[in-house]
Amino acid sequence: MLVLTRKLGESIAIDDNIKIVVVQIKGKQVRLGIKAPKETKIHREEVYQAIQDQNTEAVQADMADIARLGEELKKK
Amino acid sequence: MKVKTTRFGELEVNPTDIITFSEGLLGFENSKKYFVVDPGDSTLILWLQSTEDEKIAFPIIEPKIFKPDYMAKLLPADLNGLELESLQTAKLYSVLTIPANVTEMSANLKAPVVINSSKRVGKQIVLQDSKLSVKHEMYKELKVYIGNFSSDDARRTSYEPSITLEGGDLKPAAASPSISRTLEA
Repeated sequence: MLVLTRKLGESIAIDDNIKIVVVQIKGKQVRLGIKAPKETKIHREEVYQAIQDQNTEAVQADMADIARLGEELKKK
Repeated sequence: MKVKTTRFGELEVNPTDIITFSEGLLGFENSKKYFVVDPGDSTLILWLQSTEDEKIAFPIIEPKIFKPDYMAKLLPADLNGLELESLQTAKLYSVLTIPANVTEMSANLKAPVVINSSKRVGKQIVLQDSKLSVKHEMYKELKVYIGNFSSDDARRTSYEPSITLEGGDLKPAAASPSISRTLEA
């Protein structure tokens, strides 16, 4: 992994069209500004983790639970 | 071809019904070939079943069923990745989590599974909209829907995804055939 040191207000360019700026530094928090083409996907890493966890839980669906769900849904 | 599944037994699957997820689903990058099973039960839940691992099957449902105002904004790159020129053949599903307490079931609105049925390619797309939940509880809405339409079996395939290209000119998909119904009677 490439590691760079940047000061407040300085930025990093990735390719010709992505720019990441250090907007604010407050204690242990860093605010970053990201300028990128519209089609670039930008997410907090936790989002991917949450989706992975959800997928892992989803495949554990048990047919007995589904049958019970079917019954519950039919109840008036 | 015959495919073994832990939930549905051995199924005869038409090779043309197999959908390739070249990137897999998040956390399941090694399983790339799937088909859609409609078990035809009262829950309206379909299954995205792996051909490579009999245990891997994701319960999925069309989000319009429980959230009529759901809008998935796909970026041009998403559409290109799915070889989608028009949305006529795109299908959109939410992955469901169904715990033992079934009333706590939830749908992933943040990362729908989008399938181009004519090209037989699919992708789980992480949407940029930060308001969408990964675990959207929807048992009540599903129950209301089923209560309203329990006698109308045709409804189960009448809901079409509504995908809008940001700033684009694509319209929501018109009726398209369901992908596959492979469960033997």
